[in-house]
Amino acid sequence: MLELESVTKRFGGLTAVKEVSLRAAPGEILGIIGPNGAGKTTLFNVISGFYAPDGGHVRLDGRDIGGLAPHLVCARGLTRTFQLVKPFGNLSVLDNVMIGALTRVHVVGAAREAAREVIAVCRLEAFADSRARSLPIGLRKRLEVARALATRPRILLLDEVMSGLNPTELVEMIAILRRLHGEGLGLVVIEHIMAAMMRLAQRIVVLHHGEKIAEGRPEEISRDPRVVDAYLGEEFVLADA
Amino acid sequence: MRRDLPALVLFGASALAPLTIHDGFLLDSLILILLWGAVSSAWNIAGGYAGQVSLGHSAFFGLGAYSAALLATRWNQSPWLGLLVGAALATVAGLVIGYLANRLKGPYFGLATIAFSQVLLILASRWRAVTSGSEGIPVPFRPGLWTLGFSSKVPWVYLVLTLAVGVYLISRYLETSRPGYQLAGVREDEDAAEALGIPCRRLKVTAIAASAAVTSVCGGLWAQYVGFVDPFYVFSVDLSVRFALNSIIGGIGTAIGPFVGSLLITSLEIYLRATFSDFKAGLVGIYLIIYGCLLIVVVRFVPQGLVGWIGERARAMGRYARA
Repeated sequence: MLELESVTKRFGGLTAVKEVSLRAAPGEILGIIGPNGAGKTTLFNVISGFYAPDGGHVRLDGRDIGGLAPHLVCARGLTRTFQLVKPFGNLSVLDNVMIGALTRVHVVGAAREAAREVIAVCRLEAFADSRARSLPIGLRKRLEVARALATRPRILLLDEVMSGLNPTELVEMIAILRRLHGEGLGLVVIEHIMAAMMRLAQRIVVLHHGEKIAEGRPEEISRDPRVVDAYLGEEFVLADA
Repeated sequence: MRRDLPALVLFGASALAPLTIHDGFLLDSLILILLWGAVSSAWNIAGGYAGQVSLGHSAFFGLGAYSAALLATRWNQSPWLGLLVGAALATVAGLVIGYLANRLKGPYFGLATIAFSQVLLILASRWRAVTSGSEGIPVPFRPGLWTLGFSSKVPWVYLVLTLAVGVYLISRYLETSRPGYQLAGVREDEDAAEALGIPCRRLKVTAIAASAAVTSVCGGLWAQYVGFVDPFYVFSVDLSVRFALNSIIGGIGTAIGPFVGSLLITSLEIYLRATFSDFKAGLVGIYLIIYGCLLIVVVRFVPQGLVGWIGERARAMGRYARA
């Protein structure tokens, strides 16, 4: 269980995240939405240890992980992906995923096998030996998920893994995430594509100017007037769902 | 095993060379090729595998050279002990500089390492009471294995060859082991590596310290072989650049690359020096000009280094043959 208690992050005079509290139950898919600059990625950076919070607590299964180094947060069972994907460009897809697997599996041969399994789950078998740099963006997003998954997290933070995908890739990605959810993995998902989010998330938190302005089930969120206000001019996106 | 074929050929030929070659000049060349290859390979642990491109590795080389020379001359100890002391000092120095320079990337890291080597240069050239200052230290010739004094070059070939094979094996370990793969991740993208649970700082600092220790051992052996330690040489930026260049030209981040680079550069340098030494003083530095031109050509046309380039050719040929 991931629990945030009035988490605040400031950059100089700018408060990027202001007293945000939320919780993601084990095995739940929690969506985080909000307009550009709402503080979604900053929130991920705080949770995953890349930024130390200026106030509040981040708890994973009751233990405070706020300010812990990212690799230690990963060791505790929480792994994140990056919005701007960061593949190990010169290495093969298999090596990319294997480096993730090596965090839990300390023997190279066994880690390679574990990586192959994850690659199969993410349907990247055909590209296992390709250089990560040579993959198109859709597959790079999937590689980003596969690599994070290989660290065997209990909670996976996904930062816009569905944006930039074509419709076929989007369907595949949703199928992969559903499957992971079905296996009991907790997902916290930042997304811009509302349609996908409405179908995927069980609960949604809306951020605006760094503050949580709404929280609830997708259908509640899409009717919430504060949310519609925040997304002024984007109602059609919500209506799409 | 197939990957090790070039190394088997190179090291095998070096091992057999003293049996057929008795010419002092050629054996001297072989020793220098292996020694500079070994130092570059040590540099490659940090610069190639960990992606920490240092331009101050002469600091560690000089620490090793001075440790061996001072222990032998001032305290009358075995140079073997000097190698150990030098390795220990360099490890500490590597840990300190690795820790302090952790957040510096690319050229900034390079500049910090240059500064470090220059501090040691000033120390060695000014602290006359201990180091004899800029006069340098002549290392006395005392025959015997324990004192590392050999009247023949043959034992030196095998000594330096052992060192070279050792560093090569460390490099191969880094290509096939867990820390090696994790270092590759750190080199490619530190944030991603960190997010995947890799303790980036610890790995980088360890790699720099290991690289420093091996470099120092090379420096200690070099001092015993050459018989003289000059602060302006052993702590020079030139020397640091040479370590880096051998790896870059041969193939950075590959086990055999630094040795290929050293084979090419060292033999070229020796050849050019020998060829142009008869001319008037104006041509003394010509080998540096040719050296520079070669570097420009390599960086411009085969930036991945010779080993990487040959590998790509071979794969392309393989595809062509299958098609």
